Amino acid sequence: MKTNDHSSTSDERLVEAAKKGDMAAFEELVARHRDKIYARAFSMMRNEDEAVDLSQEAWVKSWQRLQQFQGDSSFGTWMTRIVINLCLDQLRRRKRQRTESIEEMDEESGGVERQMPVVTVNPTERLERGELRKRIDGALGQLSHEHRTVLVLHEFEDMEYKEIARTMGCSIGTVMSRLFYARRKMAVLLANLKNEELK
Amino acid sequence: MIEREAQFKLMAYLDGELSEPETVEVREWLARDEEARALLAELQNTGAVLAGFEAGLKLPETREFFWSTIQREIERQERAPASAESVSLWGWLRQHLAPVSGVALLTCLLALLLTSPGNPAANGVQLSELEMASDDVGAYTYHDQQEKMRMVWLYDREDVSQFTGRGSLASMGPE
Repeated sequence: MKTNDHSSTSDERLVEAAKKGDMAAFEELVARHRDKIYARAFSMMRNEDEAVDLSQEAWVKSWQRLQQFQGDSSFGTWMTRIVINLCLDQLRRRKRQRTESIEEMDEESGGVERQMPVVTVNPTERLERGELRKRIDGALGQLSHEHRTVLVLHEFEDMEYKEIARTMGCSIGTVMSRLFYARRKMAVLLANLKNEELK
Repeated sequence: MIEREAQFKLMAYLDGELSEPETVEVREWLARDEEARALLAELQNTGAVLAGFEAGLKLPETREFFWSTIQREIERQERAPASAESVSLWGWLRQHLAPVSGVALLTCLLALLLTSPGNPAANGVQLSELEMASDDVGAYTYHDQQEKMRMVWLYDREDVSQFTGRGSLASMGPE
C-alpha cells in the first residue's frame, strides 16, 4: 500500500494496520506526529541534533512496542511518553557525568528567585511570535534540566504533580519546588531580556 | 514576603491541585493580600507565555529523510535478533555438547577399565591413584563394593619408597 493511501485514515486504523506489519501505515503516523515528538525532545534537551536522534529512537521503539499499545490514551500521547522517557534517561546519564549544579544547590537552600520581587509587567507583551519564541528559548536554555523538565511536563504535557513525580522518580514536594522555581526564574529571565533590550 | 509553603500553595491553587477547603482558603487569602495576587499573576503569565511555544518547533529534516533513517534502523534491529539467535544457538551447542561428549568419553573409558580381566574392580574391589594438586602429596583410594566402603590414603611422596618397602597397600586394611 502506498503512503498516500493512508492520508485520510484515522490514527486508530493506522495503528491497527501497523500492528499487522504495515510499514506504510506506520510512516503515516510518523509523518503526522513527528513535529510534536521532536518539539518535546527539543524542549527537554535544548539541542537540535540530540532531539532529532532521540525522536528517531522513540519512533523505532514505538514500532517494536506497538503490540503493547492498547489505545488507553491517544497514539500521540503514548508516543510523547516514549520520547519523554528516552529524554529523561539521557538526562540522567548526563547528570551522572557532571557535578551538582548551582541551580540544584539553590533549590535546596531556598533559591534566589524565590525571594526576588514579583515581575508585575508581562515582559512578552506585544512581541512578535518569532521574537517571543526566541526569548522563551533563551530563558528555557538557562534553566537546569531538572527544572526545565518539570516545567515542560507540566506546561506542555499537562501532567499533574504526582504524575511528574512518578515520571521523574522524585517526591511531589520536589516537583512543586522545582516548578515554582522554574516559573519564577522564567519570569525573571524574560524580564531581564526585555530590560537589556530597552537599554 | 510570602512564606515558602504559602508560595507553593498559591501555585498549587493555580494548577488546580488543591482540595476544596484549601481552594476556599487561598481565595480568601488572595482577596485580602495584594502581594499574593501579584505573585499569582506572574505565575499565570509564565504559563500563558509558554502555551504556544512548542507549536512553532518543526523537525529540521524532510519527511523522506527522517523516515528513511527510522526505516533503516527498524530493519537493522529486526535482522539483528535473527543473527544473534543463530549465534546463540551455536554457542549453546558448543557450551553443552562439548562437556556432554567429554563425559560420555570418560564413561566409556571407565567402563572399559572396570570390565577388563585382572582389574580388582571387576571383583568388587577398586584400587586407584588420585592426581593431587601438590607434587609432594600423593593419594590412593580403596573402594570395596561388597563392604560398601571407600578409603582415601594420603602419603608424603618422599616417604613413598620406605612405605612401599614395608608392604603393599592391600595389606594395610581400613583404619
